[in-house]
Amino acid sequence: MEERRSPVRQFARALIGAFGALAALGGTALACELPPGERVESERLVVSYRTIPAQIAVGQPFVLEFAACPKRGTAVSERIKLDAHMPEHRHGMNYRTRVTPLGAGRFHSEGWLFHMPGRWEFLFDVGSERLTHNVRVE
Amino acid sequence: MIRFILAALLLCAGAARAQLLHAQAQLLDFTAAETRAILRHGPWPAPWSPDPSNRVSGNPAAIALGERLFFEPRLSPSGKVLCATCHAPFRGWQDARARALGLAEVDRNTPSLYDVRQQRWFGWDGAGDSLWAQSIRPILDAREMGGSQEHAAALVRADAELACGYQRAFGAPPPAADAALLAGIGKALAAFQETIVSGRAPFDEFRDALEQGDSAAAARYPAAAQRGLRIFVGRGNCSACHFGPTFSNGEFHDTGVPFFIKGGVEPGRHAGIGKLQVNSFNLLGAHNDDRSGASAVKTRQVALEHRNFGEFKVPSLRNVAQTAPYMHNGSLVTLADVVRHYSELSPDRLHSDGESLLKPLRLSAGETSDLVAFLESLTERASVLPPRRPAAPCRR
Repeated sequence: MEERRSPVRQFARALIGAFGALAALGGTALACELPPGERVESERLVVSYRTIPAQIAVGQPFVLEFAACPKRGTAVSERIKLDAHMPEHRHGMNYRTRVTPLGAGRFHSEGWLFHMPGRWEFLFDVGSERLTHNVRVE
Repeated sequence: MIRFILAALLLCAGAARAQLLHAQAQLLDFTAAETRAILRHGPWPAPWSPDPSNRVSGNPAAIALGERLFFEPRLSPSGKVLCATCHAPFRGWQDARARALGLAEVDRNTPSLYDVRQQRWFGWDGAGDSLWAQSIRPILDAREMGGSQEHAAALVRADAELACGYQRAFGAPPPAADAALLAGIGKALAAFQETIVSGRAPFDEFRDALEQGDSAAAARYPAAAQRGLRIFVGRGNCSACHFGPTFSNGEFHDTGVPFFIKGGVEPGRHAGIGKLQVNSFNLLGAHNDDRSGASAVKTRQVALEHRNFGEFKVPSLRNVAQTAPYMHNGSLVTLADVVRHYSELSPDRLHSDGESLLKPLRLSAGETSDLVAFLESLTERASVLPPRRPAAPCRR
């Protein structure tokens, strides 16, 4: 016996299905969408970051926004640790950063302060992988 | 013949004087990198902004109350010690002693209050994260003013002038809670101290002339000070820590000053962070007026590391010639002693896990004297502070 479906129920099912597909596509797309900023790549990952304010000043706190995308389909680890140090001086910052996930591979972090002029190296630990990026602060 | 000899002598004297003037008015050939480093130490005065953690920062009524409290001996139950005992205005807002003396001698040198609004951490160990919290500390310290929360609060409530001043500053009478009132006292004291700014120094005139490309004006800066400045921003690497317009990066370093004190060692920043974290008046507490939370980020995120042991705050160098003796324990009497300390620094005294920035400079006697000439050129030409007047009676 053929099941009788009401047109309203059929429409609702179709709508839910369409939303589900969109959400799946959108989730992948969002996770791989890197905002504008400095880009750093490893074999497996691409990360993008920007600081607020854009120009880092010695002795002035700043915020860092960070996003990470896998080059292949695997999801980005939520285990993110962000830090920086001065290799020539053999010291890091006097502060630990606090990283807040924003979803879709994006993170907000605060507690940044470079207390000396010279070359600083950002350390981005994403899961078991470390990416680095040099900046010169005057 | 005599006329001829006199004329020749005058000519010689004139030539010698011109040569002297030329020597005096000489501008060193600073490289582009040196010039950039020099320009970073200005402009001066630095822009002033109110402290967001203190709702009465910049408020004239709070400044007046703070000034009254700063010179108020009754804040100490002994009636003998006031803020100005150690922070004497006529001694560069410090006391010219190696170690401060309140009710008893403490282990540290009194820091000057010049440009204190520009600081991020307060005290040699940075145990204070705001000027108002730091202003409460000596009131309660048994060796300094020996007071208590209850005593300070009772004084302000009972004294008609102080209570009136509080009402004017905060727009409400002194609160019933002692802790809230003590926080208010700290905030008024801070509002006053934020007005203690240093004036422009010969260095500032040189720096601005350099920025404007005015070689003639820049050349008026003494040659010895120029040579000292070159060491400061160059080989000496002093400006890595003594950075920016205040000549301090506001952070903490181990500079190899012995930190043994009676009965133990001075832990410096390591203990300072510990004290900060348990202080109920810190910026993470209820008395912080900054609802955005931005001012408390440093307090929440500061890292406690083993290397903090023996680290002390980098002091500002503005008006440094007025604030002898030097270092956290006042162990160096003159600026020449300080320069010699860095010149003959023993790397063995520095932490093995610390930074590798400090190296003995091995300066000659002439270079030492040049660096001192530069440091002396950071002395303001004239005070920019208004003269103190007797406090006017308070009217609500």
